[in-house]
Amino acid sequence: MEATGSRAHGGDGVAGAGEAALACTGLTIRFGDFTALADVTLSLAPRRIHAVCGQNGAGKTSFARACAGLIAPADGAIAISGRPLRAGQVADARAAGVELVHQSFALPPSFTVAEAMEFGLTGRAGAIYTRRGLQARWAGHLRALGVEAKPSARIRDLPVETQQAVEIARALAGEARILILDEPTAVLSPTATEALFARLRRLRDTGVTILIILHKIREVLAVADTVTVLRGGRLVAGPEDAGSVTSDSLARAIIGAPLRPAADAAADAAAGSVSRDDASEDLAALVGAATPHGMSRHPETATRRVAELAGVSTRPATDGQRLDAVDLVVRAGEILGIAGVEGNGQRPLVEALAGLVPLARGAVALDEADVTALSLAERRRRGLRIIPFERNTEGLSLSSPLWENFAARSLLGRSALALIDPKRLRGEAEAAFATWDVRYGSVENPARSLSGGNAQKVILAREIDAEARLIIMAQPTRGLDLGATAFVWQAMREARARGLGLILISSDLDELFDISDRVVVLQGGRVAGRFDPPYDLAAVGAAMVGGDH
Amino acid sequence: MIELIVAVLRTATPMIYVAMAGVLAQRAGIWNLGLEGLMITGACAGVVLTEQTGSVAAGLAGAVLFSVLLSALLWLVIEKLRANPIIAGLGLTGLGLGGTDLAVQAVYGSEGAVTAPVGIPTLGPAFGQFGLLDVLILAMPFMVFALWVLLRRTRFGLRLAACGEHPFAARSVGADPARMRLIALLLGGMLAGLGGAELSLGGLQIFSVGMTAGRGFMAFAAVIFGAGHPVGATFAALFFALVEFMGIKAQLVFGERAPRDFVLMLPYLATVLGIWISARLRGGVPLNTIELRDG
Repeated sequence: MEATGSRAHGGDGVAGAGEAALACTGLTIRFGDFTALADVTLSLAPRRIHAVCGQNGAGKTSFARACAGLIAPADGAIAISGRPLRAGQVADARAAGVELVHQSFALPPSFTVAEAMEFGLTGRAGAIYTRRGLQARWAGHLRALGVEAKPSARIRDLPVETQQAVEIARALAGEARILILDEPTAVLSPTATEALFARLRRLRDTGVTILIILHKIREVLAVADTVTVLRGGRLVAGPEDAGSVTSDSLARAIIGAPLRPAADAAADAAAGSVSRDDASEDLAALVGAATPHGMSRHPETATRRVAELAGVSTRPATDGQRLDAVDLVVRAGEILGIAGVEGNGQRPLVEALAGLVPLARGAVALDEADVTALSLAERRRRGLRIIPFERNTEGLSLSSPLWENFAARSLLGRSALALIDPKRLRGEAEAAFATWDVRYGSVENPARSLSGGNAQKVILAREIDAEARLIIMAQPTRGLDLGATAFVWQAMREARARGLGLILISSDLDELFDISDRVVVLQGGRVAGRFDPPYDLAAVGAAMVGGDH
Repeated sequence: MIELIVAVLRTATPMIYVAMAGVLAQRAGIWNLGLEGLMITGACAGVVLTEQTGSVAAGLAGAVLFSVLLSALLWLVIEKLRANPIIAGLGLTGLGLGGTDLAVQAVYGSEGAVTAPVGIPTLGPAFGQFGLLDVLILAMPFMVFALWVLLRRTRFGLRLAACGEHPFAARSVGADPARMRLIALLLGGMLAGLGGAELSLGGLQIFSVGMTAGRGFMAFAAVIFGAGHPVGATFAALFFALVEFMGIKAQLVFGERAPRDFVLMLPYLATVLGIWISARLRGGVPLNTIELRDG
């Protein structure tokens, strides 16, 4: 469905549908020198579900935010039902009936559900309410939308899918006519995604126009009436009827270039020795065109156990997360995938392996030796390496030079009074960065000067060294673009080929299924399921939400 | 007992007005460490203008005006010049303390103290010991209640809280966090000016250089102690005033047997303990880990 020109396709999806619910002409958005969206012209018919898809950085979120008035476009115009919007005015967009549900939800965590409904309402802000009156006022609204949350519950205490339902209810509290959802499925389990789609279909049938941003083709085909593809800030196709689109043609439109060369580029960058099958399967996983099944690369079960958790329980952390009698084994030369809705024990798992939390019960072993009582420094000496959840706060010191960030790995094991040799450390960093193909100016530059992909490469270069035995990778590809994601996967496969054990914690099931030799599902801090390839999406999804299917 | 109630109310009320300014700012996402500066500015402007015009109303108006102007300055520095709110607040305190010293010297020479001919109207002798209570003290509970309603029972209050807690969420529903902060700071400036005026015009009708002596910071402590809630902060300020009253009583009882400086230290020690306890109750999050968001 490669389009030759955006205008030529502008009318396809709206033929006979009357006035466009949302139309934009020549929409251009710039951040400094960077053009996020370039000259996009399209019109979307009312009372339909329109999917907008594309890779990271394709301009999807910028497009959504401009439509909601959060960003003032550099050029171009947006019209709602024929009425032009004033650029960058949220109030104006909301008055026209446009509501945006953000990818990472925008509700103050300390608010109750009822307060979250109320605070966004337009109109007189000074009227006095009572707490009970407020809750009564919104209980019916929430019930009508099928939101299972008490009006008195605090946002921060709700599971993510309920938070999202509340945010959608918030968006529908007024007279929403166009609902925009920015990657709403990113935080949801497959079951919750299905429930969301059902909710959106019901909304469409009541007359709401829905604009949903997705990057997984499977989801696009499941929910959308029309499909629009953005790439590099440009409109490449659509809106087209979803019925006339295949997953293959959509994948091509999203990725742009034919499938092979993109894979080769990523493979070259990683200097990989991995087969073609891996590469094309990676691409399929990247866009979610298919659910790839790990091939039979199961290691022999006789290999060493590089990590073992035996009956490990931790006390609840401040966010309530804990581990509850978790048994896990990671063997040399395998990648163990950890699936689960976020907040179900992933962080305590890393902390237990790292020795950052005291265990309430159980034992941790690294390389078949008990390390339960040992510090992180001692565990690192035994080959434990961690790619942490938060690249920019846990993985790097953004204000410190690159070489200091790199040298941090060796300094932990030394005496605080030991002298260091900055010149040698700088040289080591430069050599490692060259091996890992990090694009940087100077090792003296602060880490914040790097893009997300290069920042992750710095962490990989630091953590994946000759002495590594077990590497924990917590959300290693989150927020990375296609090339960098492929690079990280390549690095994981190479580490596995060298006989290291890897733990991959990810909320992206396509990623997990593509690369893991086994998958374990964490739910409520317990192991809720253990799966071998070929993976059953429905079964894994059910385990994630605690279902008994 | 009546003596205690009256004394505690008279000590606490200036702090309560100032603490309400802190509560407003805190709800909007600013830890206002300029409260001490606002308070002394109000105290100084109140006495000086009353002395110059002979009218308490003019004194109160002046106290409010100058405190509001300083609050507007704080907003400019934080929102437009993107300064760190903590540093800007401390700067404001320095400006208030130094500026009032300079103003008094410029107008009255090197005396360091100014006396106002009249003070804030009180109930008068007809009410016995309660006669010492003035209109600002009597209005205080109503003011706190009104602020509680505004912050906790109106959509305006919700939006203000959203601006403080999650500015992006506020922006997403069309609120302008910078504008909301301006409203919060200006309203707080009014209240802090009244608090300062109550301190100087309420009892002795004297302004002396540096007379706030950390009460603005104690008001700030009350904001934290009261978890940003108007009623909570009010009770915290009342508690501090009670401890101070007990300290003075202890001084009278123990006389020479207890070191004077130790007794004077008690209110501040109680403040530290109070903050420690409230931090423990809230899960031990120290102030410096509270994220300073931009809008």
